[in-house]
Amino acid sequence: MFVKPFRYQRVESLAEAAAALREAGGDAKVIAGGQSLLPMMNLGLLDLVAMIDVSGVADARGVTQDDGYLHIGALTRHVELETDAFIASHQPLLRAAAANVGSRRIRNRGTLGGSLAHSDPAAELPLAMTALGAEYELTDGTSTRTVPASEFHLSYYMTALREDELIAAVRVPKLGTGWGWGFQEVSRRPGDFAIVSAAVLIRMAAGQIVESRVALGGVSERPLRLGAVESSVSGASVTDLEERVGPIGSLDPVTDTSASAEHRHHLARVLTLRALADACRRAEESA
Amino acid sequence: MNPSATTDLAVTMSVNGRPVTRVAGGHMTLLRWLRDEAGVLDPKYGCGEGVCGACTVLVDGEPASACIVLAAQCEGTEITTAAGLTGPAGELNPLQEAFHRRHGAQCGFCTPGMLMCATAMLADGRERTRDEIREELHGNLCRCTGYQPIVDAIEDAQGAAR
Amino acid sequence: MNSEIRGSKVDELRIVGKPLARHDAAEKIAGSTRYAGDLAYEGMLHARLVRAQVPSARITRRDTVAARALPGVIAVLLGEDVPNNEISVDVPGQTIAVGALKARMQILATERIRFHGEPIALVIAEHEDALAAACEAVEVEYEDLPVIADPDTALADGACAVHESGNLLAEWDIDRGDVDGAFAQADVIIEGEYRTQFVDHAYLEPEAGVSWLDDDGVLNLRVATQVVEHYRDIAKILGVPDSKVRVIAPYVGGGFGGKEDMTVEPYLALATTHTRRPVRMQWTRNESLLARAKRHRNTMRYRTAAASDGTILAQDIEIISDAGAYAYLSALVLLYSSVHACGPYRTPSARIRAKTAYTNNPPTSAFRGFGGMQVVLGYESQMDELAKRLNLDPGEIRKKNALQRGDRLPVGQEIITEVQLAQTIDAVRERAGDKPAPRRPRTAVGRAIASNIQSYGRLVWLNDSAAAWIGFQMDGSLTVRCGVPDIGGGQASSLAQISSEVLGVDMDRIAVHFGDSALNPLAGTTTATRQLLMSGNATYEAAVLLRDQILAAVATETGQPVEALSLTPDGVKGPDQTTPVPAALQICRRRNVPVEALGTFFGPKGKEVTRELDGERLFPDFTFGTHLADVEVDLDTGELKVLRYIASHDVGRAINPLSVEGQIAGAAVQGLGQALLEEIVVQDGVNLTGGFFQYLIPTAMDVPDIETIVLESGEGLGPFGARGIGEPPIGPPLAVISSAIADAVGARPTTLPITPERVLECVRRGAGGGPT
Repeated sequence: MFVKPFRYQRVESLAEAAAALREAGGDAKVIAGGQSLLPMMNLGLLDLVAMIDVSGVADARGVTQDDGYLHIGALTRHVELETDAFIASHQPLLRAAAANVGSRRIRNRGTLGGSLAHSDPAAELPLAMTALGAEYELTDGTSTRTVPASEFHLSYYMTALREDELIAAVRVPKLGTGWGWGFQEVSRRPGDFAIVSAAVLIRMAAGQIVESRVALGGVSERPLRLGAVESSVSGASVTDLEERVGPIGSLDPVTDTSASAEHRHHLARVLTLRALADACRRAEESA
Repeated sequence: MNPSATTDLAVTMSVNGRPVTRVAGGHMTLLRWLRDEAGVLDPKYGCGEGVCGACTVLVDGEPASACIVLAAQCEGTEITTAAGLTGPAGELNPLQEAFHRRHGAQCGFCTPGMLMCATAMLADGRERTRDEIREELHGNLCRCTGYQPIVDAIEDAQGAAR
Repeated sequence: MNSEIRGSKVDELRIVGKPLARHDAAEKIAGSTRYAGDLAYEGMLHARLVRAQVPSARITRRDTVAARALPGVIAVLLGEDVPNNEISVDVPGQTIAVGALKARMQILATERIRFHGEPIALVIAEHEDALAAACEAVEVEYEDLPVIADPDTALADGACAVHESGNLLAEWDIDRGDVDGAFAQADVIIEGEYRTQFVDHAYLEPEAGVSWLDDDGVLNLRVATQVVEHYRDIAKILGVPDSKVRVIAPYVGGGFGGKEDMTVEPYLALATTHTRRPVRMQWTRNESLLARAKRHRNTMRYRTAAASDGTILAQDIEIISDAGAYAYLSALVLLYSSVHACGPYRTPSARIRAKTAYTNNPPTSAFRGFGGMQVVLGYESQMDELAKRLNLDPGEIRKKNALQRGDRLPVGQEIITEVQLAQTIDAVRERAGDKPAPRRPRTAVGRAIASNIQSYGRLVWLNDSAAAWIGFQMDGSLTVRCGVPDIGGGQASSLAQISSEVLGVDMDRIAVHFGDSALNPLAGTTTATRQLLMSGNATYEAAVLLRDQILAAVATETGQPVEALSLTPDGVKGPDQTTPVPAALQICRRRNVPVEALGTFFGPKGKEVTRELDGERLFPDFTFGTHLADVEVDLDTGELKVLRYIASHDVGRAINPLSVEGQIAGAAVQGLGQALLEEIVVQDGVNLTGGFFQYLIPTAMDVPDIETIVLESGEGLGPFGARGIGEPPIGPPLAVISSAIADAVGARPTTLPITPERVLECVRRGAGGGPT
């Protein structure tokens, strides 16, 4: 209701979309599922001249795999991440993260690329990609560059995308043998944005953590890898975790209407520990 | 009438089994298109954020928040709203009957959206527990009933469908 | 079975008491009910408000030139364009020292902004799409003034005045017995401070309506409202006779008090009067959250003196409420808080001091429970702490102190109907069985009960009345006309049920015309849990009048004794013959006996209150009940799950058990939302709660099934002995959750909403083990 009218343009390719973005010179946005963009429009938070609809682009959707990676088209919908067989067997953390997004209605229409480009620091998929060490393929229609998730998400709703770039696909490393995963989230209600969420990957050998990737969402302007936690759990067994993981530093949480900064700080450790424990258990099952 | 830089475009959908074509601004949400252009009034505006579920319709069988979908993106789709469940003489389908029997509507404003959420739930034929029904309903808000009669109705309807 | 009904004292009835699907349900479920925003007229205009972006300021400039120049814009109205821009409400009881205190507000602010979101200009356009840009183009400049952010600041010496009359809007004092003496003699004294938050009604239907001029020049408004009688206020604003304004209330998508004050009405009226064209106005969810009146934020300081056996000796209570920027109904809401402050217990001595102050926060006004519900957190927290201190059973201590018929509230009002509070306590506890054990490590489970008292019916000195008209059609079907707005609680349907019972007409042959200020007899507001009492009794009265005049005519005609006749679905049944209804109606016609009747019900009377409340009957009667909850607390995250919830109320008589259970379950869940999730967050007068992504009402996953146990004492003042039940069940959740957490972790949350953070604070304070 009460949205200022804008121009709607449907494109057939990402190159066409990039060209349209160039033409609009910063006053246009790409719409795919629209599940983040249209609420912001309706709330009057965005003022656009044009919306460029990529939802009909044929070759940017779906999941394929090769040796060590899953390739996921940017227009792949959350529901597909949730139900895809490759993802279920090769990167179940991603499935768990997608299952935590909003309601079924949102997961039906919302796309991977849309969520990543929106870059809400509390959103599940940017966090999962950061933990997984995923890489995003960005295109401006003529050239393509690859940016790791950790360098893509810059701040609240800010990314490394240039004015005329779109995410084309995401490359996600498969979960290796001996690895386990954990995904934990606390929100005020089911389906709400996370207050804090934790995504963890662990490789275990002989009951000890030999490698780990730990990331948190909702505690900073972007998803954060926690190198200090990763070092501190190196060599730990599941029973040592409480002792090894102290208060988590280097966070910059905010106080907002859903939680205080202090509470987010507290939850960061609780959820990290829970995700670590889940990951250890799964790693041991997998070994 | 419409003053600004929009693109009027013709969009055709099948709405409750009836082909509908309207020329309207490309910025129109599906909800406004249905309500203001096509005269389909049972999907309701409740929040405009995709949170409350009062505007839930089925787009090609899958539930969507009509308030955060552009009508232009629904070209050629089949739209089902709660009124589409109702027979030509106002007959209620088995799910609607269950809502009626179980007192699933008080003020009734969330009801059309609830019915579409439930329709999508019943479509896969899987029998759900009460907790699973509640899980699927969590994106549809009701402020009157406390949800229990709605869960009762869906439980009844899936039992009858079996 | 999740619900049961016990102990009716009333004789067998045909329709009343049956769990019937409501007569409005089928259309709603078919998707064909037309709500206020669903109407469209050819050539209809659209209107939207320009609202203040700051909470407290002097307006230095308003310029509409640019906005009016935009394509599609028909007009931009300012306060100067409103015939009577200032409306005032009487603030009752506050007349002794200051003279008749009027509280004033403007329809469109011209000089002074007192809250974030206050309307300044009204934009009217040909097309909805023109409104966003046009509203932005209205230029408003402000000179900021100090922001009064809370009542303490408002009432401090030298505080900037929100209104010229001063920041104290109203106060009430209740004094009974020797409070200081009682405290001096007490074996135990319990103290506590409890805080509630701003809460939004959050009905699913935002404020909306359509207005038009009819062929006779009467202004019609079809709006989502609980009060069609606002036609009088609208007429006053426009400066036209009351008879020239008509308000129609279609089925409303939820009210809960939020559609008791006017919302879109004045603006629709202005827009149509100015343009002579139909106009639609719909508020966005954002506007609804920003600017429509909220539930009062209360601070409540309690001290309770008791004997060692648990007998309450006295209470000393201070209540401060935040009235927000304008008076609305704040003085009355605070009166309810004061009168209900000691709960459903005999309190021989009491001192209650209550104040409400203007601030630069959103206005506060009516909301289900109307001040009687916040205090449940106070009195039931005290009761629970008292039981714990004395090591008494929480149920037994409540029963020991429970009000009985003949007892008096601290304000002096006598309880005139039987109180079944003890039965509700036993009912929920028997149903609950043993407290469950924690299901997982690092969790704790707690159980508590909370009881309450809540009035039904309006304050007696308001001289309440309601009227209803019933007419037989010549085919024997029935038309009921009553001004009552139906806000989703089955208000219209219950009138059909009552008429059906008395007149022997099947429900599907009855049409109820409701919610129209011009064509139906006025029945007053759908507020204060009064409609079953008022329009229910009016309909009952009309039905009995109509029945008796028909029976008398048939008796004369057929020579049967009138005492032996009854009206049934088959007709007028007598010892000798049964006269079908159409034949009976023909008899009436021949004998000049009307086949319709108007019933008017007058509520109990009382004299107007003064600031010092003493000895008067204030309310018609009260409803009592008890809730029980089991909660599970995650000791590490503070997350809480309500495992089980049981609610029992004595409703006197369940006219429709399905509606009664629906009211209890719905109110309990709304109360749980206030207890755990909901808050309109205002920071220095700026409302930060912009949408449903921030204002969190319970989802289906946040609440369990609400098990209801309905008691039927037959003691209510409504038709067939019914009590009101729309509001009463909303209070106990606040206290029952707080007390259940205290039971689980050993410390009590006293500030709402009880967020996970606040639960963790309790875990840290309590004996329930600290977080990792």
